[in-house]
Amino acid sequence: MSTRTIKPGRIESLLAGVLNVGTWLASVAIFAGLVLSLFKRTPFPTGAQVITAGIGLFILLPILRVIVMLTIFLKERDYKFAAATAVVLLIIFAGFAIGILSK
Amino acid sequence: MNTGTELWLFAVSLGASALGGTLGMASGIFIVPVLTIFGHFDIRSAIGASIVSVIACSCSSAAPFLKGRLTNVRLAIVLETATTAGALTGVLLAGTIPASYLFFIFGMILLLSAQQMLAKRRDPALAPTQPLMGRPTTRRLDSSYPDRALGRDIAYRVELLPMGLMLMYGAGLISALLGIGSGVLKVPAMDTTLRLPIKVSSATSNFMISVTAAASAGAYLVRGYIVAPIAGSVVLGSVVGAILGARVLMSISNDRIRLLFVVVLVALAAQMLLAAFNADLFRGPA
Repeated sequence: MSTRTIKPGRIESLLAGVLNVGTWLASVAIFAGLVLSLFKRTPFPTGAQVITAGIGLFILLPILRVIVMLTIFLKERDYKFAAATAVVLLIIFAGFAIGILSK
Repeated sequence: MNTGTELWLFAVSLGASALGGTLGMASGIFIVPVLTIFGHFDIRSAIGASIVSVIACSCSSAAPFLKGRLTNVRLAIVLETATTAGALTGVLLAGTIPASYLFFIFGMILLLSAQQMLAKRRDPALAPTQPLMGRPTTRRLDSSYPDRALGRDIAYRVELLPMGLMLMYGAGLISALLGIGSGVLKVPAMDTTLRLPIKVSSATSNFMISVTAAASAGAYLVRGYIVAPIAGSVVLGSVVGAILGARVLMSISNDRIRLLFVVVLVALAAQMLLAAFNADLFRGPA
């Protein structure tokens, strides 16, 4: 099988960048939310809402990572791995669906 | 919830994560027992907080492994089909399993971790029992990694994939059920079936943890297991702890921490098993 990869290490450094930036953004949001929640009377947004946004970012981050991988595999015409990646993405969405249905 | 509780959660998570990090363990395995036994939090909100911190630790520590080309991203996505499927099963079970069972399973996992911590991990890729046949590496899963000590790239093959996938399914299930990264199940899966070099399996397992946890965290967020102030403090503490833990990783004698860990794990296991038989016995399914 011929390899049609873009430069070796490209995927890795792209994913590393996504995860790093995402971790920072989510951590800063949670920190800001915790600080906000120290004050009793805050207008919108409340501390808890900002914390929830940070937590939501953390949960979205791995999903974003999978989407980035899917895009790369499709670009490389690496359909076998693109299919595996799509399956992972569908299973994660199914998790959300189960959560909503079993609420 | 008051500021004191938030600070306590932050400090405890920081400590758990820093300690775990020094031995390459996820913080999740400590957070749930500490939150339930000492903090008297409901086990489901402890699991909810823990699963997000597991995602955070996995994401925040992935970059150096990726840049060092230790993570096998192709293998990771293939194994993730099994871990996420396991996580989905775990989410379905979590809604129906009584809290006392969760305490019991957690206790057993803690004992398993203690046992693994005692046993020295040998590099399976170097084991002489598995002679590498002269087959050319044609599969895209096989890869190589740069070994700093040897100063060259080491090629490796992925063995016994179907068996590995089955164990990964179990690891995903336990991860979702207990809110842990379940490295304790991934390590044997990687070592005994896939037979990867230790550095590759650690990096790849860490990379997979966040995606596995995301499959259950989404459901738990919607179900309301993830309580913002609790989870926020725990997540932030874990991220800071993981960074600190990675820094001191090499500077303290490993054998001594190892022994300390075994004692702590066994003590927590005893507490969790006790809780399984005492508490929440008559509280039905959630």
